[in-house]
Amino acid sequence: MKELARVSASPTLADSIGVTWTEFWFTPARPWPLALVRIFGGLLALALWGSYAWDLEAWFGPFGMISPGLLAAWRSPYAGSLFDFTTSSAGLLIAYGLGGFVLLAMTIGLATPVTTVLGAIMFASLLHRGPMLVGPADDVVAVILWCLAIGRSGDALSFDRLIGAWLGRPTPRPSVRTGIALGLLRVHAAVIAGAAALAQLKGDVWWNGTAAWWLAARAESPLVDLTGVFLRSEYLVNLVTHAIVLFETAFAVGLWIPSLRRPLALAGLVVWPLIGLVGGEPMWGLALAVLAVGCLPAERGQATVDRL
Amino acid sequence: MDHHTPPSSPSEAVRAGITVALGLYLVGLGLCVAGNSTSGGSALVRTVKAKLFSPWMTPLWLDFGYDTRLTHGLAEDGDHRFEIRRLDAPASSEPVVLPGPALRGERAARWRRLARATAVSERDPERESLVPTAVGQGVFMPWSTSDVSLRVLRHLPPDRRDVLDGLADVAGRDEQAYAGRVRLIDGEVQLITSTPREELAPLLEEPGP
Repeated sequence: MKELARVSASPTLADSIGVTWTEFWFTPARPWPLALVRIFGGLLALALWGSYAWDLEAWFGPFGMISPGLLAAWRSPYAGSLFDFTTSSAGLLIAYGLGGFVLLAMTIGLATPVTTVLGAIMFASLLHRGPMLVGPADDVVAVILWCLAIGRSGDALSFDRLIGAWLGRPTPRPSVRTGIALGLLRVHAAVIAGAAALAQLKGDVWWNGTAAWWLAARAESPLVDLTGVFLRSEYLVNLVTHAIVLFETAFAVGLWIPSLRRPLALAGLVVWPLIGLVGGEPMWGLALAVLAVGCLPAERGQATVDRL
Repeated sequence: MDHHTPPSSPSEAVRAGITVALGLYLVGLGLCVAGNSTSGGSALVRTVKAKLFSPWMTPLWLDFGYDTRLTHGLAEDGDHRFEIRRLDAPASSEPVVLPGPALRGERAARWRRLARATAVSERDPERESLVPTAVGQGVFMPWSTSDVSLRVLRHLPPDRRDVLDGLADVAGRDEQAYAGRVRLIDGEVQLITSTPREELAPLLEEPGP
Protein backbone atom coordinates (compact mmCIF):
# COMPACT_ATOMS: atom_id res chain seq x y z
CA MET A 1 0.00 0.00 0.00
CA LYS A 2 2.86 2.32 0.86
CA GLU A 3 4.40 1.65 -2.54
CA LEU A 4 1.16 2.40 -4.33
CA ALA A 5 0.80 5.67 -2.39
CA ARG A 6 4.30 6.72 -3.35
CA VAL A 7 3.66 5.95 -6.99
CA SER A 8 0.48 7.99 -7.05
CA ALA A 9 2.27 10.93 -5.36
CA SER A 10 4.80 11.34 -8.18
CA PRO A 11 3.62 9.28 -11.11
CA THR A 12 5.89 8.99 -14.10
CA LEU A 13 4.87 7.40 -17.38
CA ALA A 14 6.85 4.26 -16.53
CA ASP A 15 5.16 4.06 -13.12
CA SER A 16 1.72 4.45 -14.67
CA ILE A 17 2.42 1.73 -17.22
CA GLY A 18 3.75 -0.53 -14.47
CA VAL A 19 0.70 0.01 -12.26
CA THR A 20 -1.72 -0.50 -15.17
CA TRP A 21 0.13 -3.65 -16.26
CA THR A 22 0.13 -5.05 -12.72
CA GLU A 23 -3.53 -4.24 -12.16
CA PHE A 24 -4.53 -5.77 -15.47
CA TRP A 25 -2.55 -8.99 -15.25
CA PHE A 26 -2.03 -9.60 -11.54
CA THR A 27 -5.36 -8.73 -9.94
CA PRO A 28 -6.85 -11.97 -8.60
CA ALA A 29 -10.11 -12.68 -10.39
CA ARG A 30 -13.24 -14.56 -9.41
CA PRO A 31 -13.64 -17.75 -11.39
CA TRP A 32 -17.20 -17.59 -12.73
CA PRO A 33 -16.58 -15.90 -16.11
CA LEU A 34 -13.81 -18.39 -16.85
CA ALA A 35 -16.05 -21.24 -15.67
CA LEU A 36 -18.72 -20.10 -18.13
CA VAL A 37 -16.09 -19.90 -20.88
CA ARG A 38 -15.09 -23.45 -19.97
CA ILE A 39 -18.68 -24.72 -20.26
CA PHE A 40 -19.65 -22.90 -23.47
CA GLY A 41 -16.19 -23.14 -25.03
CA GLY A 42 -16.13 -26.84 -24.15
CA LEU A 43 -19.51 -27.41 -25.80
CA LEU A 44 -18.29 -25.61 -28.90
CA ALA A 45 -15.04 -27.57 -28.94
CA LEU A 46 -17.06 -30.79 -28.65
CA ALA A 47 -19.26 -29.74 -31.58
CA LEU A 48 -16.21 -28.95 -33.73
CA TRP A 49 -14.53 -32.17 -32.62
CA GLY A 50 -17.71 -34.09 -33.45
CA SER A 51 -17.85 -32.62 -36.97
CA TYR A 52 -14.89 -34.88 -37.87
CA ALA A 53 -16.55 -38.07 -36.66
CA TRP A 54 -18.28 -39.28 -39.84
CA ASP A 55 -15.33 -38.62 -42.15
CA LEU A 56 -12.49 -39.49 -39.80
CA GLU A 57 -11.50 -42.60 -41.75
CA ALA A 58 -11.94 -40.89 -45.15
CA TRP A 59 -9.62 -38.04 -44.14
CA PHE A 60 -7.14 -39.46 -41.64
CA GLY A 61 -7.42 -43.23 -41.99
CA PRO A 62 -4.52 -45.37 -43.24
CA PHE A 63 -5.80 -44.91 -46.81
CA GLY A 64 -7.34 -41.49 -46.17
CA MET A 65 -7.18 -38.41 -48.33
CA ILE A 66 -4.92 -36.40 -46.03
CA SER A 67 -1.98 -38.73 -46.15
CA PRO A 68 1.30 -38.31 -44.25
CA GLY A 69 2.94 -37.45 -47.59
CA LEU A 70 0.52 -34.59 -48.21
CA LEU A 71 0.98 -33.34 -44.65
CA ALA A 72 4.75 -33.38 -44.92
CA ALA A 73 4.58 -31.12 -47.95
CA TRP A 74 1.79 -28.90 -46.62
CA ARG A 75 2.57 -28.29 -42.96
CA SER A 76 5.11 -26.04 -41.31
CA PRO A 77 8.19 -27.97 -40.14
CA TYR A 78 7.27 -26.99 -36.58
CA ALA A 79 3.80 -28.53 -36.80
CA GLY A 80 3.03 -31.89 -35.32
CA SER A 81 0.08 -33.93 -34.17
CA LEU A 82 -0.52 -36.77 -31.79
CA PHE A 83 -2.68 -38.20 -34.57
CA ASP A 84 0.45 -38.60 -36.70
CA PHE A 85 1.22 -41.66 -34.59
CA THR A 86 -2.10 -43.36 -35.27
CA THR A 87 -1.22 -45.57 -38.21
CA SER A 88 -4.23 -47.90 -37.96
CA SER A 89 -7.98 -47.28 -38.03
CA ALA A 90 -8.32 -48.63 -34.50
CA GLY A 91 -5.58 -46.34 -33.20
CA LEU A 92 -7.20 -43.37 -34.91
CA LEU A 93 -10.58 -44.16 -33.36
CA ILE A 94 -9.10 -44.63 -29.90
CA ALA A 95 -7.20 -41.32 -30.06
CA TYR A 96 -10.27 -39.54 -31.38
CA GLY A 97 -12.53 -41.04 -28.71
CA LEU A 98 -10.01 -40.21 -26.00
CA GLY A 99 -9.85 -36.59 -27.15
CA GLY A 100 -13.64 -36.36 -27.13
CA PHE A 101 -13.74 -37.79 -23.61
CA VAL A 102 -11.12 -35.29 -22.39
CA LEU A 103 -13.08 -32.37 -23.86
CA LEU A 104 -16.28 -33.67 -22.27
CA ALA A 105 -14.57 -33.99 -18.87
CA MET A 106 -13.19 -30.47 -19.25
CA THR A 107 -16.62 -29.10 -20.14
CA ILE A 108 -18.27 -30.52 -17.03
CA GLY A 109 -15.31 -29.47 -14.92
CA LEU A 110 -13.89 -32.86 -14.01
CA ALA A 111 -10.18 -32.90 -13.12
CA THR A 112 -9.98 -29.49 -14.80
CA PRO A 113 -6.28 -28.77 -14.11
CA VAL A 114 -5.46 -31.85 -16.21
CA THR A 115 -8.33 -31.97 -18.71
CA THR A 116 -7.99 -28.31 -19.76
CA VAL A 117 -4.34 -28.82 -20.70
CA LEU A 118 -4.97 -32.18 -22.38
CA GLY A 119 -8.04 -30.76 -24.16
CA ALA A 120 -5.98 -27.92 -25.66
CA ILE A 121 -3.24 -30.35 -26.76
CA MET A 122 -5.71 -32.82 -28.31
CA PHE A 123 -7.63 -30.07 -30.10
CA ALA A 124 -4.46 -28.53 -31.58
CA SER A 125 -3.38 -32.05 -32.59
CA LEU A 126 -6.58 -32.70 -34.49
CA LEU A 127 -6.28 -29.38 -36.33
CA HIS A 128 -2.66 -30.11 -37.26
CA ARG A 129 -3.72 -33.51 -38.66
CA GLY A 130 -5.78 -31.80 -41.37
CA PRO A 131 -4.88 -28.12 -41.68
CA MET A 132 -6.81 -27.71 -44.95
CA LEU A 133 -10.06 -28.64 -43.16
CA VAL A 134 -9.72 -26.00 -40.48
CA GLY A 135 -11.99 -22.96 -40.33
CA PRO A 136 -11.94 -19.69 -38.43
CA ALA A 137 -13.98 -21.14 -35.54
CA ASP A 138 -11.29 -23.76 -34.92
CA ASP A 139 -8.62 -21.05 -34.63
CA VAL A 140 -10.66 -19.13 -32.04
CA VAL A 141 -11.56 -22.24 -30.03
CA ALA A 142 -7.88 -23.27 -29.93
CA VAL A 143 -7.10 -19.90 -28.30
CA ILE A 144 -9.96 -20.32 -25.82
CA LEU A 145 -8.73 -23.78 -24.82
CA TRP A 146 -5.18 -22.54 -24.17
CA CYS A 147 -6.56 -19.73 -22.01
CA LEU A 148 -8.57 -22.31 -20.06
CA ALA A 149 -5.39 -24.33 -19.58
CA ILE A 150 -3.80 -21.30 -17.89
CA GLY A 151 -6.64 -20.29 -15.55
CA ARG A 152 -8.46 -22.09 -12.76
CA SER A 153 -11.76 -22.58 -14.55
CA GLY A 154 -12.70 -25.54 -12.37
CA ASP A 155 -13.05 -23.33 -9.29
CA ALA A 156 -16.73 -22.70 -10.06
CA LEU A 157 -19.64 -24.42 -11.78
CA SER A 158 -17.75 -27.69 -11.99
CA PHE A 159 -17.73 -31.27 -10.77
CA ASP A 160 -14.40 -30.47 -9.14
CA ARG A 161 -16.12 -27.81 -7.05
CA LEU A 162 -18.98 -30.14 -6.13
CA ILE A 163 -16.51 -32.80 -5.02
CA GLY A 164 -14.53 -30.13 -3.12
CA ALA A 165 -17.66 -28.94 -1.30
CA TRP A 166 -18.61 -32.54 -0.48
CA LEU A 167 -15.14 -33.08 1.00
CA GLY A 168 -15.53 -29.86 3.02
CA ARG A 169 -12.85 -27.87 1.18
CA PRO A 170 -13.23 -24.05 1.41
CA THR A 171 -14.50 -22.05 -1.54
CA PRO A 172 -11.52 -21.32 -3.81
CA ARG A 173 -10.34 -17.75 -3.51
CA PRO A 174 -9.97 -15.37 -6.45
CA SER A 175 -6.87 -16.33 -8.35
CA VAL A 176 -4.15 -14.51 -10.28
CA ARG A 177 -4.01 -17.39 -12.76
CA THR A 178 -7.70 -16.88 -13.51
CA GLY A 179 -7.07 -13.14 -13.89
CA ILE A 180 -4.30 -13.81 -16.41
CA ALA A 181 -6.52 -16.21 -18.37
CA LEU A 182 -9.36 -13.67 -18.47
CA GLY A 183 -6.90 -10.95 -19.48
CA LEU A 184 -5.64 -13.10 -22.35
CA LEU A 185 -9.22 -13.84 -23.44
CA ARG A 186 -9.92 -10.10 -23.55
CA VAL A 187 -6.73 -9.38 -25.52
CA HIS A 188 -7.63 -12.10 -28.03
CA ALA A 189 -11.25 -10.98 -28.30
CA ALA A 190 -10.05 -7.50 -29.23
CA VAL A 191 -7.33 -8.74 -31.59
CA ILE A 192 -9.59 -11.22 -33.40
CA ALA A 193 -12.42 -8.70 -33.81
CA GLY A 194 -9.98 -6.01 -34.96
CA ALA A 195 -8.18 -8.34 -37.38
CA ALA A 196 -11.50 -9.41 -38.90
CA ALA A 197 -12.57 -5.78 -39.39
CA LEU A 198 -9.21 -4.90 -40.96
CA ALA A 199 -9.32 -7.94 -43.26
CA GLN A 200 -12.83 -7.08 -44.38
CA LEU A 201 -11.98 -3.45 -45.08
CA LYS A 202 -9.37 -4.56 -47.62
CA GLY A 203 -12.24 -5.60 -49.90
CA ASP A 204 -14.34 -3.17 -51.92
CA VAL A 205 -17.58 -4.94 -51.03
CA TRP A 206 -17.27 -3.87 -47.39
CA TRP A 207 -16.92 -0.24 -48.49
CA ASN A 208 -19.62 -0.18 -51.16
CA GLY A 209 -22.00 -1.92 -48.79
CA THR A 210 -22.71 -5.07 -50.82
CA ALA A 211 -20.79 -7.63 -48.71
CA ALA A 212 -23.95 -8.82 -46.93
CA TRP A 213 -25.47 -9.68 -50.32
CA TRP A 214 -22.41 -11.68 -51.42
CA LEU A 215 -22.55 -13.58 -48.15
CA ALA A 216 -26.28 -14.29 -48.38
CA ALA A 217 -26.22 -15.26 -52.06
CA ARG A 218 -23.75 -18.10 -51.61
CA ALA A 219 -25.20 -21.50 -52.43
CA GLU A 220 -24.67 -23.59 -49.35
CA SER A 221 -22.92 -21.81 -46.47
CA PRO A 222 -25.79 -19.63 -45.24
CA LEU A 223 -28.06 -21.31 -42.71
CA VAL A 224 -30.79 -18.74 -43.33
CA ASP A 225 -31.85 -17.45 -46.74
CA LEU A 226 -31.78 -13.66 -46.63
CA THR A 227 -31.65 -13.09 -50.37
CA GLY A 228 -35.39 -12.35 -50.59
CA VAL A 229 -35.18 -9.64 -47.93
CA PHE A 230 -31.99 -8.21 -49.40
CA LEU A 231 -33.49 -8.07 -52.88
CA ARG A 232 -36.23 -5.82 -51.56
CA SER A 233 -33.96 -3.15 -50.06
CA GLU A 234 -30.47 -2.09 -51.06
CA TYR A 235 -30.30 0.09 -47.97
CA LEU A 236 -30.81 -2.96 -45.78
CA VAL A 237 -27.89 -4.73 -47.50
CA ASN A 238 -25.73 -1.64 -46.92
CA LEU A 239 -26.89 -1.31 -43.32
CA VAL A 240 -26.08 -4.93 -42.44
CA THR A 241 -22.68 -4.69 -44.17
CA HIS A 242 -21.66 -1.51 -42.37
CA ALA A 243 -23.12 -2.68 -39.05
CA ILE A 244 -20.91 -5.79 -39.10
CA VAL A 245 -17.69 -3.79 -39.55
CA LEU A 246 -18.84 -1.13 -37.09
CA PHE A 247 -19.60 -3.69 -34.39
CA GLU A 248 -16.30 -5.51 -34.90
CA THR A 249 -14.39 -2.24 -34.61
CA ALA A 250 -16.40 -1.06 -31.59
CA PHE A 251 -15.87 -4.43 -29.89
CA ALA A 252 -12.11 -4.37 -30.47
CA VAL A 253 -11.76 -0.84 -29.10
CA GLY A 254 -14.59 -0.68 -26.55
CA LEU A 255 -13.36 -3.63 -24.48
CA TRP A 256 -10.64 -1.30 -23.19
CA ILE A 257 -13.03 1.47 -22.13
CA PRO A 258 -14.35 0.56 -18.66
CA SER A 259 -17.82 2.04 -19.16
CA LEU A 260 -18.29 0.24 -22.51
CA ARG A 261 -16.79 -3.13 -21.63
CA ARG A 262 -19.83 -4.73 -20.00
CA PRO A 263 -22.47 -3.50 -22.50
CA LEU A 264 -20.25 -4.52 -25.43
CA ALA A 265 -19.54 -7.94 -23.94
CA LEU A 266 -23.28 -8.45 -23.35
CA ALA A 267 -24.08 -7.24 -26.88
CA GLY A 268 -21.43 -9.64 -28.20
CA LEU A 269 -23.38 -12.58 -26.81
CA VAL A 270 -26.15 -11.80 -29.30
CA VAL A 271 -24.44 -9.93 -32.14
CA TRP A 272 -21.52 -12.32 -32.75
CA PRO A 273 -23.79 -15.33 -33.37
CA LEU A 274 -25.91 -13.16 -35.68
CA ILE A 275 -22.81 -12.08 -37.65
CA GLY A 276 -21.81 -15.74 -37.84
CA LEU A 277 -25.25 -16.63 -39.15
CA VAL A 278 -25.22 -13.92 -41.83
CA GLY A 279 -21.59 -14.65 -42.71
CA GLY A 280 -22.11 -18.40 -43.14
CA GLU A 281 -19.69 -19.09 -40.28
CA PRO A 282 -22.06 -19.79 -37.36
CA MET A 283 -19.44 -21.60 -35.29
CA TRP A 284 -17.06 -18.66 -35.62
CA GLY A 285 -19.82 -16.35 -34.39
CA LEU A 286 -20.47 -18.63 -31.43
CA ALA A 287 -16.74 -18.83 -30.63
CA LEU A 288 -16.54 -15.05 -30.49
CA ALA A 289 -19.62 -15.00 -28.25
CA VAL A 290 -17.73 -17.33 -25.90
CA LEU A 291 -14.82 -14.87 -25.95
CA ALA A 292 -17.33 -12.14 -25.09
CA VAL A 293 -18.36 -14.16 -22.01
CA GLY A 294 -14.73 -14.02 -20.90
CA CYS A 295 -14.81 -10.23 -21.24
CA LEU A 296 -17.66 -9.77 -18.74
CA PRO A 297 -16.39 -8.02 -15.60
CA ALA A 298 -15.89 -10.70 -12.95
CA GLU A 299 -16.95 -8.40 -10.08
CA ARG A 300 -20.57 -8.49 -11.15
CA GLY A 301 -22.66 -11.61 -11.34
CA GLN A 302 -20.87 -13.36 -8.46
CA ALA A 303 -24.04 -13.42 -6.35
CA THR A 304 -25.90 -15.32 -9.07
CA VAL A 305 -23.10 -17.86 -9.38
CA ASP A 306 -22.94 -18.26 -5.59
CA ARG A 307 -26.66 -19.07 -5.60
CA LEU A 308 -26.02 -21.73 -8.25
CA MET B 1 -21.19 -12.66 3.41
CA ASP B 2 -17.93 -13.55 1.68
CA HIS B 3 -16.78 -17.14 2.17
CA HIS B 4 -13.53 -16.56 0.31
CA THR B 5 -10.20 -16.45 2.06
CA PRO B 6 -8.08 -13.42 1.06
CA PRO B 7 -6.38 -13.92 -2.31
CA SER B 8 -2.66 -14.42 -2.35
CA SER B 9 -0.37 -12.54 -4.71
CA PRO B 10 2.63 -14.06 -6.47
CA SER B 11 6.09 -12.99 -5.38
CA GLU B 12 8.03 -10.29 -7.24
CA ALA B 13 10.22 -12.91 -8.94
CA VAL B 14 7.20 -14.87 -10.15
CA ARG B 15 5.57 -11.67 -11.39
CA ALA B 16 8.71 -10.74 -13.29
CA GLY B 17 8.79 -14.17 -14.92
CA ILE B 18 5.13 -13.98 -15.87
CA THR B 19 5.61 -10.44 -17.19
CA VAL B 20 8.42 -11.59 -19.48
CA ALA B 21 6.35 -14.55 -20.70
CA LEU B 22 3.29 -12.37 -21.33
CA GLY B 23 5.37 -9.71 -23.08
CA LEU B 24 6.93 -12.32 -25.34
CA TYR B 25 3.58 -13.85 -26.15
CA LEU B 26 1.96 -10.47 -26.91
CA VAL B 27 4.83 -9.57 -29.26
CA GLY B 28 4.39 -12.98 -30.91
CA LEU B 29 0.65 -12.43 -31.23
CA GLY B 30 1.23 -9.04 -32.86
CA LEU B 31 3.75 -10.52 -35.30
CA CYS B 32 1.40 -13.41 -36.13
CA VAL B 33 -1.40 -10.97 -36.97
CA ALA B 34 0.97 -8.80 -39.02
CA GLY B 35 2.77 -11.72 -40.65
CA ASN B 36 -0.19 -13.92 -41.55
CA SER B 37 -2.26 -11.27 -43.28
CA THR B 38 -3.58 -12.08 -46.74
CA SER B 39 -1.79 -8.91 -47.87
CA GLY B 40 1.50 -10.60 -47.01
CA GLY B 41 3.90 -9.63 -44.27
CA SER B 42 7.11 -7.68 -44.64
CA ALA B 43 10.39 -9.60 -44.88
CA LEU B 44 11.40 -8.28 -41.45
CA VAL B 45 8.18 -9.39 -39.75
CA ARG B 46 8.22 -12.76 -41.50
CA THR B 47 11.85 -13.42 -40.57
CA VAL B 48 11.54 -12.40 -36.91
CA LYS B 49 8.33 -14.40 -36.54
CA ALA B 50 9.72 -17.45 -38.31
CA LYS B 51 12.95 -17.49 -36.29
CA LEU B 52 11.70 -16.58 -32.83
CA PHE B 53 7.99 -17.24 -32.54
CA SER B 54 6.79 -19.83 -35.06
CA PRO B 55 8.83 -22.67 -33.48
CA TRP B 56 6.69 -22.54 -30.34
CA MET B 57 3.48 -20.85 -31.52
CA THR B 58 2.87 -23.16 -34.50
CA PRO B 59 2.65 -26.42 -32.48
CA LEU B 60 0.07 -24.74 -30.19
CA TRP B 61 -2.02 -23.69 -33.22
CA LEU B 62 -1.52 -20.04 -32.35
CA ASP B 63 0.47 -18.86 -35.39
CA PHE B 64 -2.48 -17.21 -37.15
CA GLY B 65 -3.58 -13.81 -38.37
CA TYR B 66 -7.28 -14.28 -37.45
CA ASP B 67 -8.10 -12.24 -40.58
CA THR B 68 -11.57 -13.65 -41.16
CA ARG B 69 -12.76 -11.58 -44.08
CA LEU B 70 -15.99 -13.58 -44.58
CA THR B 71 -16.11 -12.41 -48.20
CA HIS B 72 -14.49 -10.01 -50.61
CA GLY B 73 -17.04 -10.85 -53.29
CA LEU B 74 -14.39 -12.80 -55.23
CA ALA B 75 -14.89 -16.11 -57.02
CA GLU B 76 -12.70 -17.93 -54.49
CA ASP B 77 -15.04 -16.77 -51.69
CA GLY B 78 -17.84 -18.86 -53.19
CA ASP B 79 -18.82 -22.30 -51.95
CA HIS B 80 -16.66 -25.09 -53.41
CA ARG B 81 -17.54 -28.75 -53.79
CA PHE B 82 -16.07 -31.94 -55.23
CA GLU B 83 -17.55 -33.96 -58.03
CA ILE B 84 -15.81 -37.32 -58.19
CA ARG B 85 -16.62 -39.99 -60.78
CA ARG B 86 -15.33 -43.53 -61.18
CA LEU B 87 -13.94 -43.88 -64.66
CA ASP B 88 -13.96 -47.68 -64.62
CA ALA B 89 -17.72 -47.73 -63.90
CA PRO B 90 -20.55 -47.60 -66.46
CA ALA B 91 -20.78 -44.19 -68.11
CA SER B 92 -24.29 -43.73 -66.74
CA SER B 93 -23.13 -43.79 -63.11
CA GLU B 94 -23.71 -40.56 -61.23
CA PRO B 95 -20.71 -38.69 -59.82
CA VAL B 96 -20.37 -38.42 -56.06
CA VAL B 97 -20.75 -34.85 -54.82
CA LEU B 98 -18.95 -33.81 -51.64
CA PRO B 99 -20.45 -32.25 -49.64
CA GLY B 100 -23.74 -33.68 -50.82
CA PRO B 101 -26.82 -31.46 -50.92
CA ALA B 102 -28.17 -32.96 -47.69
CA LEU B 103 -25.01 -32.24 -45.73
CA ARG B 104 -25.10 -29.04 -43.65
CA GLY B 105 -23.17 -27.45 -40.83
CA GLU B 106 -19.52 -27.74 -39.92
CA ARG B 107 -19.08 -31.19 -41.48
CA ALA B 108 -20.11 -29.81 -44.88
CA ALA B 109 -17.95 -26.73 -44.30
CA ARG B 110 -14.86 -28.93 -43.85
CA TRP B 111 -15.49 -30.65 -47.20
CA ARG B 112 -15.94 -27.23 -48.83
CA ARG B 113 -12.61 -26.09 -47.35
CA LEU B 114 -10.87 -29.18 -48.71
CA ALA B 115 -12.41 -28.56 -52.14
CA ARG B 116 -11.33 -24.92 -52.00
CA ALA B 117 -7.81 -25.92 -50.94
CA THR B 118 -7.70 -28.23 -53.95
CA ALA B 119 -8.54 -25.41 -56.35
CA VAL B 120 -6.51 -22.65 -54.70
CA SER B 121 -3.38 -24.73 -54.10
CA GLU B 122 -3.11 -25.37 -57.85
CA ARG B 123 -1.96 -21.76 -58.20
CA ASP B 124 0.82 -22.33 -55.65
CA PRO B 125 3.90 -23.86 -57.32
CA GLU B 126 5.02 -25.45 -54.03
CA ARG B 127 1.69 -27.16 -53.41
CA GLU B 128 0.51 -27.77 -56.96
CA SER B 129 -1.07 -31.20 -57.56
CA LEU B 130 -0.63 -32.32 -53.94
CA VAL B 131 -4.25 -32.13 -52.80
CA PRO B 132 -5.99 -33.44 -55.94
CA THR B 133 -3.64 -36.43 -56.00
CA ALA B 134 -4.27 -37.13 -52.33
CA VAL B 135 -8.04 -36.75 -52.66
CA GLY B 136 -8.20 -39.01 -55.70
CA GLN B 137 -5.97 -41.57 -54.04
CA GLY B 138 -8.16 -41.39 -50.96
CA VAL B 139 -11.16 -42.82 -52.78
CA PHE B 140 -9.29 -45.70 -54.48
CA MET B 141 -9.60 -48.09 -51.54
CA PRO B 142 -13.18 -47.41 -50.35
CA TRP B 143 -14.54 -47.37 -53.91
CA SER B 144 -12.41 -50.33 -55.08
CA THR B 145 -11.25 -48.41 -58.09
CA SER B 146 -7.99 -47.12 -59.51
CA ASP B 147 -9.18 -44.48 -61.92
CA VAL B 148 -11.28 -41.44 -61.02
CA SER B 149 -12.03 -38.02 -62.44
CA LEU B 150 -12.02 -35.19 -59.98
CA ARG B 151 -13.68 -31.83 -60.44
CA VAL B 152 -13.96 -28.89 -58.08
CA LEU B 153 -16.96 -26.72 -58.80
CA ARG B 154 -17.40 -23.34 -57.27
CA HIS B 155 -20.62 -21.48 -56.93
CA LEU B 156 -20.65 -17.92 -58.22
CA PRO B 157 -23.35 -15.86 -56.54
CA PRO B 158 -25.15 -13.45 -58.87
CA ASP B 159 -24.84 -9.69 -58.67
CA ARG B 160 -27.88 -8.27 -56.86
CA ARG B 161 -28.56 -5.76 -59.62
CA ASP B 162 -28.45 -8.49 -62.28
CA VAL B 163 -31.08 -10.43 -60.35
CA LEU B 164 -33.29 -7.34 -60.07
CA ASP B 165 -32.85 -6.62 -63.79
CA GLY B 166 -33.70 -10.21 -64.68
CA LEU B 167 -30.23 -10.84 -66.12
CA ALA B 168 -29.31 -13.55 -63.61
CA ASP B 169 -31.01 -16.11 -61.45
CA VAL B 170 -30.81 -15.66 -57.71
CA ALA B 171 -29.47 -19.23 -57.47
CA GLY B 172 -26.27 -18.16 -59.26
CA ARG B 173 -24.19 -20.52 -61.36
CA ASP B 174 -21.32 -22.96 -61.02
CA GLU B 175 -17.92 -22.78 -62.64
CA GLN B 176 -15.22 -25.39 -62.83
CA ALA B 177 -12.32 -24.41 -60.57
CA TYR B 178 -10.30 -27.56 -61.10
CA ALA B 179 -10.51 -30.74 -63.14
CA GLY B 180 -8.19 -33.69 -63.25
CA ARG B 181 -7.91 -37.44 -63.47
CA VAL B 182 -6.18 -39.57 -60.86
CA ARG B 183 -5.27 -43.14 -61.70
CA LEU B 184 -3.08 -45.94 -60.47
CA ILE B 185 -0.78 -47.39 -63.11
CA ASP B 186 1.68 -50.13 -62.11
CA GLY B 187 1.48 -49.08 -58.46
CA GLU B 188 2.21 -45.45 -59.29
CA VAL B 189 -0.36 -42.69 -58.83
CA GLN B 190 -0.68 -40.39 -61.83
CA LEU B 191 -2.44 -37.04 -61.91
CA ILE B 192 -3.53 -35.62 -65.24
CA THR B 193 -4.75 -32.08 -64.78
CA SER B 194 -7.10 -30.66 -67.41
CA THR B 195 -6.18 -27.17 -68.49
CA PRO B 196 -9.11 -24.79 -68.12
CA ARG B 197 -10.38 -23.60 -71.50
CA GLU B 198 -9.58 -19.95 -70.74
CA GLU B 199 -5.91 -20.80 -70.16
CA LEU B 200 -5.42 -22.40 -73.58
CA ALA B 201 -3.56 -20.27 -76.12
CA PRO B 202 -5.63 -19.48 -79.20
CA LEU B 203 -4.77 -21.59 -82.23
CA LEU B 204 -3.28 -19.30 -84.87
CA GLU B 205 -3.28 -20.21 -88.51
CA GLU B 206 0.12 -20.04 -90.16
CA PRO B 207 0.13 -17.20 -92.62
CA GLY B 208 0.22 -18.32 -96.23
CA PRO B 209 3.02 -17.54 -98.66
